[in-house]
Amino acid sequence: MSKPQTKSAANGQDASAPEAESLYAKHKKVYPREVHGLFANLRTTGVLALLGLYYGLPWFRWDDRQAVLLDLPQRQFHIFGLTFWPQDFFYFAVLLIIAGLALFFFTALAGRLWCGYACPQTVWTEVFLWIERKVEGSRAQQMKLDKADFSKRKLYKKGLKHAIWISFSAFTGFTFVGYFTPVDVLWQGLISLDLGPWETFWIIFYSLATYGNAGWLREQVCIYMCPYARFQSAMFDKDTLIISYDEQRGDPRGSRKKSAKPGELGLGDCIDCTLCVQVCPTGIDIRDGLQYQCIGCAACVDVCNEVMDKMGYQKGLVRYTTEHELEGGKTHLFRPRIVIYATIIALIFAALVVAIINRVPVELDIIRDRNALFREVKGGLVENIYNLRIVNMSNMEQRYRLSADGLEGMQLINPRGNFDVKSGEIYSLTVQVRLDPVTLKRPSNEIFFNLDSVSGDKISIKEKARFIGPLVR
Amino acid sequence: MADHPKRRKSDITNTQRLIAVFWPSFLTAGVATALFFTAFNPEEISLCMGHQKPISNIGAYTIGFFLFWILTSSTCALTCYFQRPCHQPAKGEND
Repeated sequence: MSKPQTKSAANGQDASAPEAESLYAKHKKVYPREVHGLFANLRTTGVLALLGLYYGLPWFRWDDRQAVLLDLPQRQFHIFGLTFWPQDFFYFAVLLIIAGLALFFFTALAGRLWCGYACPQTVWTEVFLWIERKVEGSRAQQMKLDKADFSKRKLYKKGLKHAIWISFSAFTGFTFVGYFTPVDVLWQGLISLDLGPWETFWIIFYSLATYGNAGWLREQVCIYMCPYARFQSAMFDKDTLIISYDEQRGDPRGSRKKSAKPGELGLGDCIDCTLCVQVCPTGIDIRDGLQYQCIGCAACVDVCNEVMDKMGYQKGLVRYTTEHELEGGKTHLFRPRIVIYATIIALIFAALVVAIINRVPVELDIIRDRNALFREVKGGLVENIYNLRIVNMSNMEQRYRLSADGLEGMQLINPRGNFDVKSGEIYSLTVQVRLDPVTLKRPSNEIFFNLDSVSGDKISIKEKARFIGPLVR
Repeated sequence: MADHPKRRKSDITNTQRLIAVFWPSFLTAGVATALFFTAFNPEEISLCMGHQKPISNIGAYTIGFFLFWILTSSTCALTCYFQRPCHQPAKGEND
């Protein structure tokens, strides 16, 4: 009887030596058995929704352009009504921080929810497994086919499977590039066989990555390549949702007739049918305890419930539970780390929303001319020269009006008057500010430049600058 | 490699070592590319370098990415290399 491993296995340090040696070359293919049930349905729903979103979103239009287009050639990100420029990198960084914290939050709360239902690796592997089943048949048929000698039938089945896999991967790669260059142009290029070399390269690159990861590597990505899989256990506590085998109820394991009373045979509820092992996409035995290879997909929960039903036993021998519950206690949902994570996420998210709403889609940089601090011009006035750099970060061409204030009697000399700046354009402008020095109380004074759009959009920005004058006598 | 008498058998396989070099470097190269090209416009870079006909932005990002990948994977490879025990047991000394 295998001795159940307990907590230490969750740290991933308990990975037994033979495991490490079985990598890649000596790796045994895992043939996950098809499973039906509540969690399988949830995952299928998730897979369909996520893939629908992934393949559909690039074709969605908004204001006469692609709704979500991270336009790398033009260096602007369109996300529905908003347009972001490289200058807006800050928002992206905040978004990444929120995503990271959300991952911590959900891991502490519900374990590897991400891995089991939403990770692209899981989602695409699920599709590839489905294709494999449609072509090669059930788990047993697949194993038989792989063992069989080379034949026409085998060549046909394998060829068909890989052909479908590759076409699906190619479509995936095309869609991926469609997020970064306009998808309609890309499509036109594809059907007229006139794709740019770099676009072609990335479509092939991403297609190969999909084909390799979902077709060949599968669970090995989770086990050997995923950093999250290695550190997620650090975020677990005794109230985190995990999938576990109820050892007290199940052991000792053993097969028996359906009519037999397990109590009389000295057996627990586990009939040792090994179906939980057969359905596991990473090929582990959940009855050995919590393991870092477990991606929390709940396939074993579904299949065991089915078996328990058939045997007339209570469901839930393998179930979603927590360590506290397994020990006979209660699960505490609101614990400090959950509350703290949630609060931090809510605060940062609120700040991000406020910042995006109040974002002014224009940038004004002011650089004082460094050749001279100031110069005297006719009429006894003192002049400072400023080089302005204006970036129009809105979607439309704007006409701007420039004004200055902060000191009494100051004159702004702007040779160009109101000026037009195209969307995304960086506009340079040199202006002078003149002033009668007798009004100055200090040699260095704060002034402000105001830039307002007169095109109808309410865009205005105020930036600080310094006006330098002669020493006050 | 592993069966060389003077070399100790490592606890990880060559395939895993290969992944350990090329996979983390792939991730960091991606991050570096994003950061670098957020700060610098490839068109401006090629103007500075005096190219008459600059390549497309996507092309510049691609080349940038692979240059970063070469850099980061060399770092990973060196780390891997230096992980090897440097003490060579003398003749007669027990391994």
